[in-house]
Amino acid sequence: MPTDPEAARYLREWDDRLQDYEDRQRITAVRQLLRRMGRNRLLLIGTVLGFVVLFLGLFGPVISGVDYRTQSFRNIHRPPFSEGHLLGTDELGRDIAIRLFIGIRVSLLVAAGVTTLALVAGVLLGMTGGWTGGWTDRAVRGGVDFVWGFPLILVAVLFAGGLGEGLFPVILAVGLVNTAAIARVVRGEVLVLKQREFIEAAHAAGVSTVRIMGRHVVPNILAPTMVLASYYVAVAVVAEAALSFVGLGAQPPLPSLGRMVSDGRNFLRVNHWEATIPGLAIVMLVLSVSLIGDGLRDVFDPRLRHEAKGVEE
Amino acid sequence: MGDGDRNNLTPDVGELVDQYRSARLSRRRFMGRMTALGFSVPAAASILAACGDDDDSPSVDEPDEPDETEVPPSEPVAMEPIQGGTLREGYNRDVSPHDPLTTNWYDPAFFAIYEAIMSNDPNGSDVPQFASDFSVSDDGLEYRFTIPDGKLSHSGGTIDAAKVAEFYRTVQQESFVAGLAAPVDTYEADGNQVVMKMKNPWIGALGPHKTGYWRIINIDTWKQARGDGGESTYGTESADGTGPFTHEAWEPGSRVLVKRWDDYPGSQTPFFENKGPAYLDAIEWTVITEAGQRATQIENGDIDTLINPAHQDIERLESNSDLTVTRYPEWSGFMLTMNRDYPELFGDRETRQGLSHALDREGMVNAILAGNGAATYGPFPTTDRNYEPAVEEFNRFDVDLANKRLDDAGWTGGDSVRERNGTAFSFEYIVEDESVQVSVAEAVAEQFRTIGVQANLAVRDRAVVFEDQSGEGREAAAMSGFFWLWPIPLDVLILFSGSGFIPVPNFSHAVEPRIDAAIAAWQQSATAAEAQAAASEFQLAWAEELPYLSIMNQNATFVKNNRVHGWQPFVWNLYPYYNDTWIEG
Repeated sequence: MPTDPEAARYLREWDDRLQDYEDRQRITAVRQLLRRMGRNRLLLIGTVLGFVVLFLGLFGPVISGVDYRTQSFRNIHRPPFSEGHLLGTDELGRDIAIRLFIGIRVSLLVAAGVTTLALVAGVLLGMTGGWTGGWTDRAVRGGVDFVWGFPLILVAVLFAGGLGEGLFPVILAVGLVNTAAIARVVRGEVLVLKQREFIEAAHAAGVSTVRIMGRHVVPNILAPTMVLASYYVAVAVVAEAALSFVGLGAQPPLPSLGRMVSDGRNFLRVNHWEATIPGLAIVMLVLSVSLIGDGLRDVFDPRLRHEAKGVEE
Repeated sequence: MGDGDRNNLTPDVGELVDQYRSARLSRRRFMGRMTALGFSVPAAASILAACGDDDDSPSVDEPDEPDETEVPPSEPVAMEPIQGGTLREGYNRDVSPHDPLTTNWYDPAFFAIYEAIMSNDPNGSDVPQFASDFSVSDDGLEYRFTIPDGKLSHSGGTIDAAKVAEFYRTVQQESFVAGLAAPVDTYEADGNQVVMKMKNPWIGALGPHKTGYWRIINIDTWKQARGDGGESTYGTESADGTGPFTHEAWEPGSRVLVKRWDDYPGSQTPFFENKGPAYLDAIEWTVITEAGQRATQIENGDIDTLINPAHQDIERLESNSDLTVTRYPEWSGFMLTMNRDYPELFGDRETRQGLSHALDREGMVNAILAGNGAATYGPFPTTDRNYEPAVEEFNRFDVDLANKRLDDAGWTGGDSVRERNGTAFSFEYIVEDESVQVSVAEAVAEQFRTIGVQANLAVRDRAVVFEDQSGEGREAAAMSGFFWLWPIPLDVLILFSGSGFIPVPNFSHAVEPRIDAAIAAWQQSATAAEAQAAASEFQLAWAEELPYLSIMNQNATFVKNNRVHGWQPFVWNLYPYYNDTWIEG
C-alpha cells in the first residue's frame, strides 16, 4: 500500500473504476445473454411448451379433482369430449385426462430424479477423473466405458431384477447411464481447461485446488453441462416411457405415459385416443425439453450457431 | 338332444338346431350350414342324429329347398378337399415343448403330432382315437382299449398295446399331473389290449386320458432322448408321436412347424372324414402374444386361422365376410388367490366373503372381456356338464354387503384402509404381465379400495410369476391373480383346492375339510348321479368357503379364413384336429 495519500487515492479510484467496468461488463454479458435468449425462437417455443406441460403435470390433477384410479365399467372406451371426460376414458372407464396429468407428473419426476443424479454424480466423477489423472482417471474412464457398453434397457432390467419394478429402479438405471454420459463430457472439458493459462496462473498464484475448481473450472463447464443435461432430460423421459411400456417402470394403477401407450395400443381400432393422447404428450414433453436444450446450446455457445448457419449457407 | 346339451353348443349351432327342430330348416340345408361352420359331415350328422330320429324329424322336405345347383359355389360342402398347402395359424400363447410327459402346458401342435387313446367328439361323447374300441367292466374296475395292428410312430417304431401301457406307466411315474388320474391303479398289456385297472370305480377315468398329457408317444424314443438323466432334447428338437404330422421346428416365442406324415397308418376317430394322411403339407403356428396384432394378421392374410383374438376385436372379425368366427365358453377361469399363510388377512370366511361381494364380475366381463365371457360365482365355467347353478346365489356384487361382512369380521375404518387388531388390510397382489390379467388386477384393486382394502399391485414377468405366487409359507404373495385353462375343470380345480396339493398347485394353501370331502367323493363316484352330487357339493363348498375368488371365464374364440375347410374347433376339445383340414385354392 503506497504511503503517499495522493497515490493511495489514485489507486482507490482506479480500483473503483475497474470495479465499475467489471460490473458493467458482467451486466452487459447477462443482458446480452438474456437478449440472445429472448431472440432465440427455439428456446422460446420450448419454454412455452415446457411451462404448459409443467402446469398440466403440477396443477392438472388439482384442477381436475378426480381420482385417477376411479373406474366406471359403464363408461369404457369413450372418445375425447365425452360427457364429463375431456379426453375420454380407457378400458376400465377411467378418465384419460387425469391419468395423463399424473403420467406427465411421473415423467417429470423421473426426469428430475435422473437429471439430478446424473448431474451431481457425473460432474463430480468427470472433474475428479479429468483433474487428478493417473489411476483415478483410468478408473473413471473405465467405469464410464463399462456402463456405456450395455444398452440402457439391459441396465434397467438388471436393476429391476435386483430392486423390483417401480420408479426408483428406473431412476437409478437411467441415472447411471446418464451419469456416464455427463462424466465423459465433463472429464474432456476439464482436461482441456487444465492446460489453459488462467488455470496455470491461478496455480502459480497459490490458489488452492478446491478454489480453482469452484471459481474457474465449474463456471467454465457449466454451460456445456447444462446443455447436455437438457438433452438427457429428454432421454430420461423417453427411457421412462420405454421402460414403463415394457412393464418395468411405474406399476399399475399409477399411470405413466409409456404404460398408457402400452395399454392403449390394444384398443387402437376401438378408441385410438387411449394410445395417441399419451403418445402426443410424450412428443410434446420431449420436444419442449429438446427445444430448450437446442436453444441453450445456441445461447451459450454461439460458435455452434454460427457453424450451423455456415453449414446452412 | 336335451336342452342342457343344446346349451352347450355354440350360439350358431344352437340356432341351427332350433331352426331344424322347428322345421324351418331341412336336413340337407342343416348339413350344409354345419359344414360351413367348419363341422365335418360326420360331426354334423351326429348332431343331427342327436336332435331326433332322422326319419321322424319334423324337418321340412325338399319342395322349399333349392336344388344342388342353386347352392352357392362357395359352399364348402360342394367342394372336394385339396391336398397340399401350409396352414398358417396364429396362436395367442408362447409354445411349450412337445413332450406330454414333462410339459407344463400343451399347445395346438399336440393335436397334430400326437393322438390320444380316446377323444371327445363334437357331442362331447367318448370316442376311440388311437384305440379302435374300448370297454368297461360291470364293476367299473377295469377298462380295456383295443390297439389295432400296424400302428407306428413317426420314427417307424411299432406302437402296440405293450408300448402304450409302458407309456402310461411312465406318465404315472414322471408327469407332474399324474395325480389327475389318481384312482387308476395299473396299466398292463393283454394281447392287443391295454388294460387299465382302477383302485375304485370312477366315472371320470377316461377324462385325463383325452388330454395332451396322456397323448401317446413312442416311449423308447423318449427314453433314448433323455439318456442318462441329462438334458433331454425330446419335445424341442424332436418328437415321436403317432399323429398325422411330424415335428419339424420348435422356436419358443416365435413359431412351430409340423409336416405331413405320409406314412400315417390312419385314424379310427369316427368323426374324422379323412381317415388317411392329412391333406395339408404342413402347419405353421405363429406366436402372437401382442393381443392387438392377432386380428390384424388374419385380416391382412398373414395367417389363415387364429386362436383367441383380442376380445375387443371379435365383433369386427365377425362382421368380416371372409372370416368365420367360432366361440364358446372356454374351460378356463380368472381367479384370485388369498394366501392362507396370512391368516390375519384371509383366515376367516367372513372376510373372504366381504372381498368377494365387492367384485362387480358382470361389469368386469363387459369391460375387460368386451362381453366375451361370463361371470363365475363358483369354480366352474357355466358350460361344464356338472355345473351347479345354485352357486350363483353366492358372491353377488353388493358393496353394502361387502362392507357389512368386513365390519362384522372386525375390520374397522372403511373410509381409508381398514384395520383389525392393529393389522392394516393392505397387501401385495402380484399378477402376470399380460394385458387381460393386469386389467383384471387393476379393476379388482380399485373395487377393493372402495371397501377400505388396499391391494398393492406388482406386475411380474411370466418367467417369475409362478415362483412368486407358489412359494412356501409367507414367501408367496398375500394375493395373486391367475388364469387357468384345462380341459377337465373339476380335475384341475381339485389340484388347486385340495389340501393334499399344498404348496402347489394349491396356491392359496387353503385347507377346507368340506372341499376335501367333496374331492374324495368325486374320485370315488361310480355313477353319473354320484359324480354330479360330488361336483355340486364341491362347487357349493367352494362358493361358500372361498378358497379362491372366482371372477369370470372367457370364451374360446377361433377364427378362420373361409378358404380353410375341415378345421373344426368345438367346445369339448381345447384345440381343433387337423386331419380333415384343407385349404381352398
